[in-house]
Amino acid sequence: MKKQTMFLRMITASLLRRRSRMLVALLAIAVGATILSGLVTIYYDVPRQMGEQFRSYGANMIFTSSNGGTLSEEALNQAKEQIKENQLVGFAPYRYENITVNERPMMAAATDFDGAAKTSPYWRIDGSWPSQPGEALVGKETAQTLALNTGDKVTLTFDLDKKPATADEAANAERNQNNREFSVVGILDTGGNEEKYIFISTEDMEGLTGKSDSFDMAELSVSASQNELKSYADSISKKTDGVSARLVKRVTQSENTVLSKLQALVLLVTVIVLLLTMICVATTMMAVVTERRKEVGLRKALGASNRSIIVEFMGEGLLLGGIGGLLGSLCGFIFAQAVSMNVFNSSIQFHWLLIPVTVLVSVLVTGLSCLLPVRSATDVDPALVLKGE
Amino acid sequence: MFFRMIKGALFRQKSKMIMIAVTIALGSSLATAMLNIMLDVGDKVNQELKAYGANITVVPKENSVLDSLYDLDDGSETAAAHLKEEDLGKIKTIFWGFNILDFTPFVNTAVTLSDGSTAKLTGTWFNHHLALNTGEELDAGIHSLRSWWEIKNGQWLDEQKESIPANGALIGSALAERLGVNTGDTIEVKTAKGSQSLQIAGIYDAGGDEDEQLFTLLPVAQELAVAKGLIDSIEVSALTTPDNELARKAATKGPAALSPADYETWYCTAYVSSICYQIQEAIPDSVASAVRQVAESEGTILDKTQLLMILITILSLFGSALGISNLVTASVMERSNEIGLLKAIGARDYRISGIVLTEIMITAVVGGVAGYFMGYGFAQIIGHTVFASSIEMKPMVIPLVAVLIVIVTLAGSIPAIRMLLRLRPAEVLHGR
Repeated sequence: MKKQTMFLRMITASLLRRRSRMLVALLAIAVGATILSGLVTIYYDVPRQMGEQFRSYGANMIFTSSNGGTLSEEALNQAKEQIKENQLVGFAPYRYENITVNERPMMAAATDFDGAAKTSPYWRIDGSWPSQPGEALVGKETAQTLALNTGDKVTLTFDLDKKPATADEAANAERNQNNREFSVVGILDTGGNEEKYIFISTEDMEGLTGKSDSFDMAELSVSASQNELKSYADSISKKTDGVSARLVKRVTQSENTVLSKLQALVLLVTVIVLLLTMICVATTMMAVVTERRKEVGLRKALGASNRSIIVEFMGEGLLLGGIGGLLGSLCGFIFAQAVSMNVFNSSIQFHWLLIPVTVLVSVLVTGLSCLLPVRSATDVDPALVLKGE
Repeated sequence: MFFRMIKGALFRQKSKMIMIAVTIALGSSLATAMLNIMLDVGDKVNQELKAYGANITVVPKENSVLDSLYDLDDGSETAAAHLKEEDLGKIKTIFWGFNILDFTPFVNTAVTLSDGSTAKLTGTWFNHHLALNTGEELDAGIHSLRSWWEIKNGQWLDEQKESIPANGALIGSALAERLGVNTGDTIEVKTAKGSQSLQIAGIYDAGGDEDEQLFTLLPVAQELAVAKGLIDSIEVSALTTPDNELARKAATKGPAALSPADYETWYCTAYVSSICYQIQEAIPDSVASAVRQVAESEGTILDKTQLLMILITILSLFGSALGISNLVTASVMERSNEIGLLKAIGARDYRISGIVLTEIMITAVVGGVAGYFMGYGFAQIIGHTVFASSIEMKPMVIPLVAVLIVIVTLAGSIPAIRMLLRLRPAEVLHGR
């Protein structure tokens, strides 16, 4: 008991009395620990956060009918529910119909606009997204062909017989047609095929065609790795009748390539930074301890055993390492959180396991870097050490 | 005397000085490596993002919206406009020609297959050798623009390989399954302009609509669809700078709405809109537009990656700065006896500071230079393992690192020296 109190007193006294030097050592350890916990947290969180950014490339999975027919809403929902809710970024069902505008054949697409805005974040809209019934979004190419602008009206005609009109029929207006007027609220610019379509809401399409609950395909944006996506696609195709799920290879494959490179980059950077920082911490600790060679010599001259000297120095080092490690894990978390908020606008997932790991690593590094100089000091004859040679 | 003292300190306290030099070298190598990687990561990731394919498409000005719908119906061409094949090389001659990584022309047509069904046939370049008027030579083609294609059977077409037949074609996996054809088979295709037998060189899996298509060499499709020397569209893959306010203004209001100075800046920056504009200038009667899916997302990813690397760099710079200044402080404090002695025998404060600082600065310079080259090595290791290409070493990193090391070393030693100078020599020598 007495021995232990003495031990503790010696350690705390040496820490307190040599305040400035200990502060230097503590700072060095804390910086090392900050870098360790900060970078490792970022390394673990980068794939998830970056993966979300890659969702700006749009849908990476599509549902189509497996039997060549159409998809019902029920089947789509059933298929959709197999994907974990927190991974599903967006879901938009599509239905395509041939329509005419002033006898000119066009393609109309019906979708859920809230979903489409999420699955296709790259759509640039001049105007606004349709929100009311009777509003339409017109692709840029079609808008140019029909000379439409935002605010204009356009009448879509759906032929229930699905036949082009003969001249006679057109003249006599004897056709089995549905007409609806839409107001153009936005012009869609994508640089792709979407620019050729006229987009209306699903309800309007039902009104126009008189047919409900039939979709041609659905686009999904899922935040998951390529392998996870593959297993989702397989299980959905198997479990849900009539739905076949496919991956948009262009998006998934490329994302895989780029994301794995980015992760490798962060990993290598982390390893190199950690390695160098740890060596820095070790050299600083060594400098602080080397300074105390005389103390070691004095104690040895007073009859302390090598073991007790090493134990005391190690105790000091471990205490410093522990405090520095704790401080560092906290600062590291704050840093990682700041990075995440700045770069990705979302908060980071903290791994609690990282705290003991950080503390352990800092204790190990400090312990090792104390051990070397203390040992070299204890190995030498105290007389030589005290003389300063 | 001054120099003798410094020389003495440097050589007699060798191990201590080596430790300082090593720490400074580590810090400076970390700074060098991180700064270089940070400055180059944009270019590198931009190259990687080319995996998503073309970010610009070029079509003829008068191209009707309807041809894709009509085409599939009756296979006949409405009087659609075309681009000229001979103009293709001009893409490389624009202001930002160096940023054009790859491009390929397309000719699309609907063909009737032997079983009566129709399919879309596309003629394109695969690995076409092109000699420009400027004397430059390059290979262009679809290979890098469809990096996600998986050739399941057979091989890619290649115009420059002797073994590839003139009527070679690649077939989509879905279409191949439907027709029951395999690599090496020949299939007959017919259009209004004639018929042709195609030899299947490979089956690809594209994971999309293209699985229902046939791809063949450009001249074959030209004969079946349009005429020699005419093409329908061009896909271009270009390295671009992420859009900012100026680029958005130019894209929505048109370059004419910009002030002359803004126009100059816009024209001379590799925005996707200015590259499109320059392509339109180079190729007569064309409209070049950005593929939003690729162009927009590229910007997002690039910005995020760069910001991430900048923050990591700041952390490691901060870490190496603290590491260096810590060690310097520790090593100056260690010399309290020496400084006390110097004071006791009557040295002036500025002489003492001068001696200590010069010693440390000499060590810092040696360490810093060694660290720069170490950092160079680290940067290249990262570049080669991750991106399989070397990281460009920017000259501006050298002064940055130099200034950092000098400031950090001074910041680490001056407070410590001042603290020691304040002490009374008797106390210091007494060992308190």
